[in-house]
Amino acid sequence: MKSKIIKIIALVAITFALGSCSNDNDEETAGVGKLGVEFDNVFGSSNLILNTQNNVTSQGETLKISDVKYIVSNIVLTKEDGTTFVYPKAKSYFIVNEADAATQEIALENIPAGDYTKIKFGIGVDKTQFDLGASGQGDFLTIADKAGMLWSWSAGYKFVLFEGTFTSASVTTPTSFMVHTGQTGTDYNYTEVTLDLPTKALVRTNITPDVHIFADVAKIIDGKNKIKLSDNNEGGMGAMIMGGTNLPLITANLSNMFTVNHVHND
Amino acid sequence: MQAKYLLLFVLPLFWNCSEDADDVYKNIPLAVEVPSNFPPLAYDLSTNPPTEKGFELGKKLFYDGRLSSDGLVSCGFCHIQQDAFTHHGHTVSHGVDNAVGTRNTPPIQNLAYQTTFMYDGATNHLDLQPVIPFTNPVEMNGNFTKAIAMMKADPEYQKLFKIAFTDGEINSENMLKALGQFMVMLTSSNSRFDKYRRHESGGTLTNEELDGYAVFNAKCASCHATDLFTDNSFRNNGLPINPAVNDVGRYRVTELATDYYKFKVPSLRNIEKTAPYMHDGRFFTLEAVLEHYNSGVIASETLDPILNKNGTLGILLTEIEKTKLIAFLKTLTDNQYLTDKRFSEF
Repeated sequence: MKSKIIKIIALVAITFALGSCSNDNDEETAGVGKLGVEFDNVFGSSNLILNTQNNVTSQGETLKISDVKYIVSNIVLTKEDGTTFVYPKAKSYFIVNEADAATQEIALENIPAGDYTKIKFGIGVDKTQFDLGASGQGDFLTIADKAGMLWSWSAGYKFVLFEGTFTSASVTTPTSFMVHTGQTGTDYNYTEVTLDLPTKALVRTNITPDVHIFADVAKIIDGKNKIKLSDNNEGGMGAMIMGGTNLPLITANLSNMFTVNHVHND
Repeated sequence: MQAKYLLLFVLPLFWNCSEDADDVYKNIPLAVEVPSNFPPLAYDLSTNPPTEKGFELGKKLFYDGRLSSDGLVSCGFCHIQQDAFTHHGHTVSHGVDNAVGTRNTPPIQNLAYQTTFMYDGATNHLDLQPVIPFTNPVEMNGNFTKAIAMMKADPEYQKLFKIAFTDGEINSENMLKALGQFMVMLTSSNSRFDKYRRHESGGTLTNEELDGYAVFNAKCASCHATDLFTDNSFRNNGLPINPAVNDVGRYRVTELATDYYKFKVPSLRNIEKTAPYMHDGRFFTLEAVLEHYNSGVIASETLDPILNKNGTLGILLTEIEKTKLIAFLKTLTDNQYLTDKRFSEF
């Protein structure tokens, strides 16, 4: 009887021990949590203020920006151990709009708990999705239509929309500019950006980190590739950059437009 | 005795149960048959397989003026079935508020076999094509948000979306897929010419028509190739530029200098019904078209080399050849397609 009781006690003790061991490990990285990704638009070293702010490029052009919108999609998060989490594709299309603060904070849900060190995202709608036509678009066409991010002369999305007026040495009266990137007949113009997180984003069931990204809109036309609006001002009617060879140059600039300024783990 | 009568009274009450069957209606797939004389299908059926209710929904959308900003201009407003889904007699069409565009309404036929759409190839996916006329301010001037609100409030649309799509959602994806299914099923393959090609009864061509076919193969088939009568390429066929419009064609999409003034080679099926001709509808008769090729071709940097051989511009055609060609082209008229009730508004 005694030995039996001792065995039972031993069995129970071991069970507790084992049970509590595994519980300790699971509590840290079990379950799912949320992650906030904030897209904060800036111009160079200033915060971006629409319409009134004078923004000067390295090409000596002064821009007053009225509109900045871009499609963010296909978000992939990388953990410290190198494994990745691909955010469900159908839910991964967002439109960031400078004029609408609510769109600048993207709330991602059901992220497996863990320590994340990298974030990757696309600017635009990827070709794989676009080639499916309407399949898998869900409501996104409607959302894009409402946001003015659909072309109507061609059935495509605008990936980046960047508009305002500009002046320069050769263009002295404020003249409008519109930069729209997207698929053209010759180039698809979708690009992906991978950013290292300066501190780890600790996603837990009870911790929702916030990844605060700065998007330097100056880089759209004044990055690795320099595009002069004054050189694209046909007949003085405005710099309309919506196709042709400028778009791949602008698209190449986009990978340097984004940096992670900081990560909160609250 | 009484029990019998009781049964007779009670039994009919059970007959109403069959009405419940409507609520569990099963959507029936539609077979897409490739005619033996056609090239292979280009449309990917796996992402949007046509079904009875999907087609019905697509047709309802096609003929619904409420998709436009003025409530009148449906797709069917310009795309009229008896004209092979073109706009009889109109060089260009008028959209909402009588706004006018710059291009002639093209036919809707056999689009499932094409890989690029619109005169300038502005889109490569059939499901996305409707976005262009739907959102164009001078055509339907519509927007998805309003259209979806309209459909969500309409019991007929609610029912159709629910049955036609597994997720039953009224959204832009399903709206475009329904239209895609409708367009995929619009196949014109039963003209007298088709029957001749497939050795079916009713497929006899007269000597004049056969002569015309021979002229066609010698002088036209290099661009108007296959039994779909197009090689789907973009070419400049020497039309004088209309300075009021200066339509640069494919250049607008690619911005390549080599694409200036190039337009897609159209299919010639049902050509008897699709006048006027060319991207801007400038020729009212087939005779005028052939005379253009014979004597009206203008040289330019992007003129197609086929129309500039050995210093001769265009394609020389005698009067007799023109008559025979036109006789042949009329054999491409497909009355079954033009009158098929499945595609009709009423």
